[in-house]
Amino acid sequence: MPDLVGASDGIGTQVKTYLFGLFVLVLLFCLYVLQSSAQSRKLRSQLLETREDLISTTVSKSYVDNILKSMAETLMVIDTDGTIQRVNQAAISLLGYERHELIGRSAGDLFEEGVDVLSLLKQSELNDVIRRVDTSVVTKDGRHVAVSLSGSVMRDEDGEIQGMVCVAQDITERKRTQEILERQTQELARSNSELEQFAWVASHDLQEPLRMVASYTQLLSKRYKGKLDADADEFIAFAVDGATRMRRLINALLELSRVGTRGKDFEATDCEAIYDRTLVNLQGLVEESGAVVTHDRLPTVMGDVTQLGQLFQNLIANAIKFRGDEQLTVHVGAEQRNGHWEFCVRDNGIGIDPEYAERIFVVFQRLHGKGDRPGTGIGLSICKKIVELHGGRIWVKSQPDEGAAFYFTLPLNEEKSSHE
Amino acid sequence: MSSNSNGSLVEILLVEDNPGDVRLTQEAMKEGKMRNRLSVAVDGVEAMAFLRQEGKYADAPRPDVILLDLNLPKKDGRAVLAEIKADPDLKRIPVVILTSSKAEEDILNSYDSHANCYITKPGDLEQFIDVVKSVEGFWFQIVKLPKE
Repeated sequence: MPDLVGASDGIGTQVKTYLFGLFVLVLLFCLYVLQSSAQSRKLRSQLLETREDLISTTVSKSYVDNILKSMAETLMVIDTDGTIQRVNQAAISLLGYERHELIGRSAGDLFEEGVDVLSLLKQSELNDVIRRVDTSVVTKDGRHVAVSLSGSVMRDEDGEIQGMVCVAQDITERKRTQEILERQTQELARSNSELEQFAWVASHDLQEPLRMVASYTQLLSKRYKGKLDADADEFIAFAVDGATRMRRLINALLELSRVGTRGKDFEATDCEAIYDRTLVNLQGLVEESGAVVTHDRLPTVMGDVTQLGQLFQNLIANAIKFRGDEQLTVHVGAEQRNGHWEFCVRDNGIGIDPEYAERIFVVFQRLHGKGDRPGTGIGLSICKKIVELHGGRIWVKSQPDEGAAFYFTLPLNEEKSSHE
Repeated sequence: MSSNSNGSLVEILLVEDNPGDVRLTQEAMKEGKMRNRLSVAVDGVEAMAFLRQEGKYADAPRPDVILLDLNLPKKDGRAVLAEIKADPDLKRIPVVILTSSKAEEDILNSYDSHANCYITKPGDLEQFIDVVKSVEGFWFQIVKLPKE
């Protein structure tokens, strides 16, 4: 080799140049291959991405389509002119039109007269949503279907309004239930007021003739007792007794029915003042029984002052009436609980068997014999009615010989809280 | 028997449509000590005619006190009360409302119309007699009425 090299220098240089050129070519080729493979990888990954995008777009389109299709609510997409762009299957079923009959139609045509979808759209532009407007749509065959319409504005990336998506829920059933409920409520109110009217008229109008019977049998007894025979005396005595009892019952009934016809609007009422007045009214009874009546600081509530006075009086008088042998103590307490006042009138009297805890509030229900503890058995029914008219609840916790605690709830003083 | 402070017969006008109540009032007054004359008007129109001495009542005495029922035929007691208290010649005559109504509304309206007192007819005979006696005792023995 050295000979060869040494023998021909010119040839050697040529070979060198050639080899160098070849080297450069190979190098260039390698570079090209390297670069093009990178490019093709990039291209491929781009291609793949595009394919994935395409797949995902297709998938999400069918996904959205599926959602729209399976929605029970009718869905309608309208443009800014109020023209329908898209509807779902539920809309087609509800309205009874074919899809092609709906697309391109003015949405306003489908709603009952007076409902302007465009103006709804305009309204919603302010806050982008319409929430549950009750209206109705007219189907192809002319039926009116009550719907609850909600909608939301669609905007493009620049915030320009593209249209609105409206969702209408068929509320025929809800409406019907609501109507039935309203009718029943009205009916109930009517029959209630009729019953109250009846009780009032009966007790009021019966009073007059009864007063005559009672007064004149008493007059008979007064003038003629011992002047007729023994039978006559006995007969008259029964007539007087019957009339007297009936008068008491009718008076009680009248009192109860008066509570029902709520005369006054509720106002802020200081229970402390009511308590004081009640004790003045019951002074004789309290002194006679030797009862010790105490109380917490009582709140101001919303109510009818006359009725609340009656409530306090009945409960305290009741405690005194059903006292036991030991020194009677009655305590009136109140505490705020669950958004209302809970009052308690607690005594250490004879108590009530829990078995009768409900029955004592029913009109004319008495647990004691007539001679035993006097009364008509209406006091607690009146209490119940008063408390219920005030939106509260009354109940008793008691055991025989362990006293009784009557609880009732009354509304908070709204006037006060609104001023605060 | 005693009479009022003038020593004369006391005049009472009872405005009442129920004969049972009229008789009962008469019976109750028999038990009272006052020498009285009880005149009866059975409705509001008759009561006003009596008080104004109109028609057959031209010679009617001026009552010292009026016992007035509220629920009356023709013109009811509320209207009669209002007319009496609006009439300068009659308004000084004490008007005792004697009614079976216990309604708060009737009580308030009566006093608003210047009734002199309001009494609910008791259902019990003895109480009724007491009421009539008390009315007599109060208006003719305790109270000083204008001389006229």
